[in-house]
Parts: sequence; C-alpha cells; structure tokens
Amino acid sequence: MRKLEKRALFCLLFSLILVVGSFVYVYKFASEGSQWIAYPANEHLYTKGRLATGTIEDRNGTVLVSNDKDGNIVYNSDLNLRTAMLHVTGDIHANISTGANRAFKDKLIGYNLITGTFSASGEGRKLSLTVDSDVSKAAKEALGNRTGTVAVFNYKTGEILCMVSSPNYDPAKPPVLDKNDTSGAYINRATSAAIVPGSIFKLVTSSAAIDNLPNLDNWTYTCTGVHTYGNSEKDRVTCLKPHGKQTFKEALANSCNCAYGELSNDIGEDKLKETIKQSGLTDSYDIDGIKTTPSSIETSSQPLNLAWTGIGQNKDLVNPISMLVYVGAIAGEGEVHMPYIIKDISSSSKISLPYKHTDDTKKLLESSTAKKIQDMMRNNVQKSYGDNRFPNLEVYGKTGTAEHKKGDASHAWFTGFIKDENHPYAFIVLVEKGGYGVDVATTVANKVLQVAIKK
Amino acid sequence: MVNNIAEGTSPLMEKVSSFFESVPGFSHNFTAIARWVFVVLAIYILLRAILSLLSSKTPSEIWAYLSIGNALAMPITHWENVIGRAKSCDINLDVKTVSKNHATLIRKSDGKWILNDLNSSSGNKVNGHPISKPTLVRIGDALTIGNVDCTLASTSLEEDKHNHEARAILSGRFTPWKSIIALSIFQVLLVIQLIISKGSSLPPSVPIVFFMFTGIMWLYSILVRSAGMTAFEIDSIAFFLSTLGLAVVATSSPEEIVKQFVTVCMGMGLFFFLCWYLRDLDRALKSRRILLIASVALLLLNIAIGTYKYGAINWISVAGFSIQPSELIKVSYIIIGSATLDELFQKKNLGLFIGFSIFCLLALAYMGDFGTAAIFFITFLVISFMRSGDFSKLFLFIASAAGAGLMVLRFKPYVLGRFSVWMHAWDFADAGGYQQVRTMSAGASGGLVGLGAGEGWLKKVAAADTDLVFGVLSEEWGLIIALLAIFSIVTFSVFAVKSIKAGRSTFYTIAACASMTLFIFQTILNVFGSVDLLPLTGVTFPFVSNGGTSMIVSWGLLAFLKAADTRENASIAVKRFKVKGGEVE
Repeated sequence: MRKLEKRALFCLLFSLILVVGSFVYVYKFASEGSQWIAYPANEHLYTKGRLATGTIEDRNGTVLVSNDKDGNIVYNSDLNLRTAMLHVTGDIHANISTGANRAFKDKLIGYNLITGTFSASGEGRKLSLTVDSDVSKAAKEALGNRTGTVAVFNYKTGEILCMVSSPNYDPAKPPVLDKNDTSGAYINRATSAAIVPGSIFKLVTSSAAIDNLPNLDNWTYTCTGVHTYGNSEKDRVTCLKPHGKQTFKEALANSCNCAYGELSNDIGEDKLKETIKQSGLTDSYDIDGIKTTPSSIETSSQPLNLAWTGIGQNKDLVNPISMLVYVGAIAGEGEVHMPYIIKDISSSSKISLPYKHTDDTKKLLESSTAKKIQDMMRNNVQKSYGDNRFPNLEVYGKTGTAEHKKGDASHAWFTGFIKDENHPYAFIVLVEKGGYGVDVATTVANKVLQVAIKK
Repeated sequence: MVNNIAEGTSPLMEKVSSFFESVPGFSHNFTAIARWVFVVLAIYILLRAILSLLSSKTPSEIWAYLSIGNALAMPITHWENVIGRAKSCDINLDVKTVSKNHATLIRKSDGKWILNDLNSSSGNKVNGHPISKPTLVRIGDALTIGNVDCTLASTSLEEDKHNHEARAILSGRFTPWKSIIALSIFQVLLVIQLIISKGSSLPPSVPIVFFMFTGIMWLYSILVRSAGMTAFEIDSIAFFLSTLGLAVVATSSPEEIVKQFVTVCMGMGLFFFLCWYLRDLDRALKSRRILLIASVALLLLNIAIGTYKYGAINWISVAGFSIQPSELIKVSYIIIGSATLDELFQKKNLGLFIGFSIFCLLALAYMGDFGTAAIFFITFLVISFMRSGDFSKLFLFIASAAGAGLMVLRFKPYVLGRFSVWMHAWDFADAGGYQQVRTMSAGASGGLVGLGAGEGWLKKVAAADTDLVFGVLSEEWGLIIALLAIFSIVTFSVFAVKSIKAGRSTFYTIAACASMTLFIFQTILNVFGSVDLLPLTGVTFPFVSNGGTSMIVSWGLLAFLKAADTRENASIAVKRFKVKGGEVE
C-alpha cells in the first residue's frame, strides 16, 4: 500500500494544474474583465450590438444623450444643441472615436469586478460632463458652416467648457463618408487634429527668447518687409508690409515675421527645441482616457527653415488642445491644470458614486516668463486688435494667419485667455481657410466668451 | 408524476409570480440581496465540507499484529501489505536476509490471511514449511520471513475497542444537518429567484423538482445518519453541485428539468449500488471480466448503431432515451483498471488492461469523440502509473499519445481549427472563438457574485449548458461560486490521495485516485476550454453540465471515493468490522 503513496502524487499534479490554471483565469478576469464585458455581444449592456445603458449630461444637467434598454440612442431634442455637441457625445454609429458614448463606455456601464454589470438601482449610470451646451451652441453658431474648432477650458481647474468641431452633423443621422473624404467630419479637430499654427506659435518662440536671450528689453529689429537668408532671393521671410523699427513687444503685437525669424536664429535650434519640448505641445494629453494627438514641430539647423519654424510655418503642425493647455499655462503663470471632461458619475437612483476627479498640474514654462508673455498678449489686444472687439472682457491673446496651401485662404487662429475671477477661461479658435485671424477668429472667440461669462 | 403535479400547480405559479410583480421593486431588490446570500450559503456549505475533508485525519485500522520475538509487535494496518527491507514496504524488516520486496501478506474479505512470496532470495516458511505458492496463514501461525521468525497475532477485544474509539475521535464527526439546512435555504431562494427572472414562462415543474430534490436530500441524510454514519462531506458537496446542475438546466432549458432530475435520482441509485457492491472486494474483482466483455460489446454497439451529434457518433437511442455509452464505460473502466496488491506484481494483468485501453481509445477516435478519448488516456496514465510506478513506461505512453495526437490533427481538420483559435479567441470572436469570447464576456458580467439565476444570456449560445457551463455559472452565480465548484472537485482528488494512508486495498485507492483524477481532467478540459486557456474540447463539468448520462456517471464515480474513505463510521461503501472476522451489519 505504501508504494502507492508516492505514485499518487502523479494525481495531485493534475489538481495542481487545475488550481494554477484557475488562478491564471482569475488574474485575466481581474485585469481584462472590463474589456470582456464591453464586447458588443454582451446582452447585459447591448441590445442588437448597441449600448443599452447610461445617460450623458452637460454641466447644467441638460441631457445630451441617453441609451435606452432597447438599444436606442436618444439625443437631446434641440437639433442645434445635439449638433454642437456631436464631437463630445459621438453619433449613433459611433463613428467618432473620441465621442463620450464610445470613449467612456466603461464608465457608463458601471462595471466593477465585484458586482459585475449588475446595477443596484436597476438603471444605468449618469455621466456629467464639464462642458456647457449653451456655450457650445454659441460656438457652433459662430463657426457657422465653416470648418474649424473652438475649445474653452478653465485654466484654474482644468474643466473643459466647450469643445466644438466643424463640420458637424445631426448625431442621430450620421452621413456616410466615403474613403476619400476630406471633410474630416468624423474627427474632433480639437483633440485629434494637428494643423499649421501660423503666428500663434510665436508665443512659444517668445518664451524661448525670454529664457535664452539677454538684453531682450533693448533688442530691436528694423523690418523692411523682407529678410533674405543666404544668397538666393527666394530664400526669404516676408511680412505683409514693412513694420519699421520693432522692439520685442511690438514685434509680437504686429506679428512681425521678419523679426521672429531673426529671433529664432538668435535663440538657435537647440534652445528652441528645448522650449518646444517643455511647452508640452508635442505631448499627448489624456482627457479622462481620450488621448489627444501630439503636435509635431520640426526644428532645423538651416537658418531659413529655423526662421519659418519660429514663425509657425515650415512643417509645424499644432494640436488645438495642446496649444490651449499651453496658453492656460501662460494664464496660470507657468502652471496649468490638466484638462478633463468628466465632472461626475452617478447612478440614476441619486446614489452618488465615489467618483473623484484627480487634479493634476503641470509646469510648462517659468513663472517670470509667463508673466512677461501675459503682458505682451494683453498689449497685443490693446495695441493691435482693439479692446472694442471684446466688450466687457479683459482679453489676453495672439492671432494667427497660417498659410497652408498656395491659392487657398489662410487658416485663421486666435488663442488667449481672460482674467476674470469667476470665469478664468482660456480659449482657442481655429477657422480653417477663414482668412485673417485678427478679423475672423477674434469675432468667433468674442461670441463664445460673451455667452461663457454670463454663466 | 411530476407532470401531473405540474398541471395542478400551474395556477398557483402564476399567482406567486404576479404577486412578486405587484410589489414595486421587489424583484430587483430580491436579486440584489439574494445574490450575496447565495454566495454566503455556498461558501458555508462548501468550505464546511472542504475544510473537514482536507483537515481530516484518516487513522489506520489495525487488522492484526506481526510479533517478532517477545518485544516487538508490528501493527498490520492494511488488508494488503508488502513485507520487505525497502522503506516503501508496509511491514519493514530491515534485515539483510530479507529481500527489498520480499512477500505479500493479504487479508481476504472472510478474515483469512494469505502469505505470498515475491521471488525472494531467501524464501518464506509457514510453521516451518517452506512455501512455493500463496499460502493460508492462521492467527498464531509462525512465519519465517527470510530468516526472521515472527508470529501473526490477533488484536485483543479490549485493544480493538480502544482502537475503534481512538479512530472515532481522530476521524471526527461531520453531521449533515447544518449543511442540509443551508442547502435547503439555498434551494428555496433559488426557486424564488427563478420565478422572478423567468416570470410566468417558468414551467411549474421547475419548483416541483427542486422541492422533491430537497426532500430526497433530507431523506438521504436521515437514512445515512440513522445508519450511524458520521461523515457527510462528500455527499453534501455532490448535493450542492447537483443543485447547481439543476439550476443550469432550469435557466437554459427548463423543459428538460424533469429528465435531469430523474438522472440525478438514477445517479444516486448507481451511487448506492456501487457503494454496496464495492464493499465486497472479491465480488468487485470477479465482476471485472464480465464488465470488460460488456464494455467492449457496448462500444462496438455504439459504433454500429450510434447517432451523430455535435461532431461525434457517441450516442445511442434506446426506447426514446439517448445515452452516451462512452460515459457509462468510464465506471467500468475504473473497475477493470484497478488492481489489488497481488496483481500489481503480476505483469500479465496490466497487459490485458493496456489492450482494453487501446481498444477504448481506438473506438473513441473512430467515433470522433477526442475529448472523451483524452479523458480515457489520462485515466489510463494514472492507473498504469499507480500500478507499475514505472516512469519510463509513462513517458513512452505520453510520447505515443503525442504521436497519435499529431495524426488526429493531420487527418481531422476541424480539430486543427480549434487549435489555431486557441489563445486567440478574441481575434476570431465571431468565428472559431465565438463560444469562448461569449463565455468570457458573460462570465465577467457576473462579477464575483453573479447576476442571478435565470438572468443570463450565455445560455442562448450553443452548448452553453454543457461545454460552456463554467461561463453560465460565472454569469448567473458569480466567479466565487464557479471557483468553489472547481475547488470542490480538487478537494475530492486531494482526499482520494490522502485516503491511501489508511487504505485497505490498492484496488480501492487506485479506483478512487483514478476516478477523481478523471473528474479533475474533465474539469480542466471543460473550464479551460471554455475560457480559451485550452482548445475547446466539449466535455462535461462533473455534476454541473446538463446531460443525463454525465450526471449518472458523476454520481457513480463518486462511489469509488466513498469506498476509499476508511475513516471510522464514515462511509456506506466500507464494511465495518467490530470483532475479528465478523461484521457489524
């Protein structure tokens, strides 16, 4: 009999395999369960492949979209509102990958390891976003049928107040776009595009200049309208008109390309690169799980190209949200609160879930540098664009008119912030092929801000 | 009968169901709370049994003594003993003239002892006469083993009584009542939960079946207790798993619940029969030849008239009943394969068993039932290794099986298909990984405590109540209960191995270890196949999967574990001896 005792260990080997395998499964269950349940065949959450649970509201409690039990996605009845919110919520076919109904699926489902997909209230969850549908509507109307984007966020908290992208459409009736589509209607331009920035990029070049060039207060440049590099006449930087003798501050207010080309070369490629890296523009931001497209900026050792890089042309492509965050850092004297969009998650039975946004700040530039740029941005509005464009607002800004394709109208940009205790908002406006930033983009910005400060 | 009662209670069911609906929020709140209560009850019932089995001491029975000289009396604690110089011998005589494995001393059911020489170099004598063949030894006889003189001595009555008492204390007592009460509450809540989730679409036969099952459980416990048995762990685990099995049928195909219940009863019938049958070792040994012939005949019959179902010809229909012969043969395979200690030393016995095994494997391969073939093969490995202890043979068998496996992959493309999906189920979510992906998705939806019996959707997927039953358990009962079901099976296996220490005959211990390893391997294939840790094979989870033959055989195989449980007064499958040679009952 005793002989069998050792031989029987062979049987225990199989028990061991079963136990070890079970633990492997438990590990996978714990780490991948949230993905498994999100599979559209899961009838606890989907009806006919559509999410059948959850409601998304804006910051004022206006219902943007709700998923009913039969798998119908019901949008707000106001066509203008639901169209304005298209890129925030997503459409019925989930064409927009950054749409909340798709990107925040796991949060709407309310899955957790312990109770699974069981909802104690029997109802789905409610996601409250930080966006304001009235401000968004104003932005959509201001953009009209032009292509572009408007984004506004609170630089003291990080809350995204407005994120509108155009072209847009009724989320309940998405158009079918063919493979060669160029409209980019399925793309949220604020988070997912990278576009030639033009002169708004001079804010970054300015920061590099302040950090690296001594005696900047005494620095001057005399603009003749053209600055040639090398021997060829073609290799030149131009301004629309000769600006004459420019100080650093005046050069930004007049957006003097020749002066900034020269400044870029004074700074040098290495230092400019360093500042760009520190600015966070080339990073991808994580907005509650939505990853922004990083900007791409190529510096060059070749003086002409380096000049154009500092002016925001050359191969520069900037993501609107990352630029907005950078401007937020200027407003916040160097530090910025990371942008977020989920304000709260609750179950419909009014039982508040312990959802808490974790505030995250990042230092993008030196405090003294930020203060100097603030001063120059205020000067831009006062001296160059005119305060009368922005009634009752103390605007700090920089316009951009980005050339992108010969023969096409330029992209019009305007980015900046307002100093208002109750409305500490930074904004960015892009109107593609809109023309001059100073005319087109500032008007859009004003319309949006006027609604925002009344809240 | 069940159907008649069902007709009578139909209006009552509707009343109950509409009452639940009339109380606002009752249904949802019931499920919200009950899902936790189920888990607590399950943990209580199973942990109580599992911990008792794993912590139990299995004290040795003392059948006689071997006295050497005047001072030393070695207790003989098994029916079958090897005497020799090797440490692995049951009666260890560390003397140079004694061979490593010198002789066997075996007790027969009638209390007689047989001494048999194992080709020892110095031979054996009984009362001074050298022996050449198995020789009867009486109490008081003088034995000469090698050149060691000893006497076979009986235990005194007083000693006997003391041993029994000591064993009873060490064995511990496990009364059924607390587990049965908890399980009854579990079943009542389960019926309410099913009425809530299924509403009026729940056939009245479902609550009736559960009611009758609760009754049978109580009846069983009362009978077993009044017979003086003090162990109920294995039985309570089997009752719990069967309850889960009935719940799976109730949610996936409630119209089959009566059939499944009948097979539970038949399974318990087979369990009782085998428990009684195995009490007599000689009887069990003698039946092997008939079983072997019957098994071969049944498999041949299956090949001749079997019907094709789910990719294999492993069903035969008799008078409206479909049975799976390959399942039933698992029971006889264990009996045929198990062997007494004497037989372990005879090569020809193993040869016959190997031949029979090869026949079974070929038959199963011909039928296309590769899952069951794998189970038979693993059972074969366990039995042959326990019989021979020969590692080289083990590797030889595994290597030839691997070769055969490759042939299968070569000639059966659908089997290869399952291998190509393996570990990549999510890449083939609507093709080859269809069932696995849904098992995981539904399983994870259940979280740790489940969404409530009857509330799942996985049951709509093909073979959910058999091959994917682990997913149905996870979805409706939660991961905790699903894992407890697995650990119950693991406990059986560990207990089978533990019981060797006090085993009477190698026949019982080999049977227990082989049948419980069969359970384990079947669970491995079922669970890991459904969650993509192994290729999906389509075998059943013991007791839990829907399927009549599988349920009957699960109970049947459990009898082998019962027969190895030699704790004092523990098992109905073990004869009790009070006075030397005499039986209690």
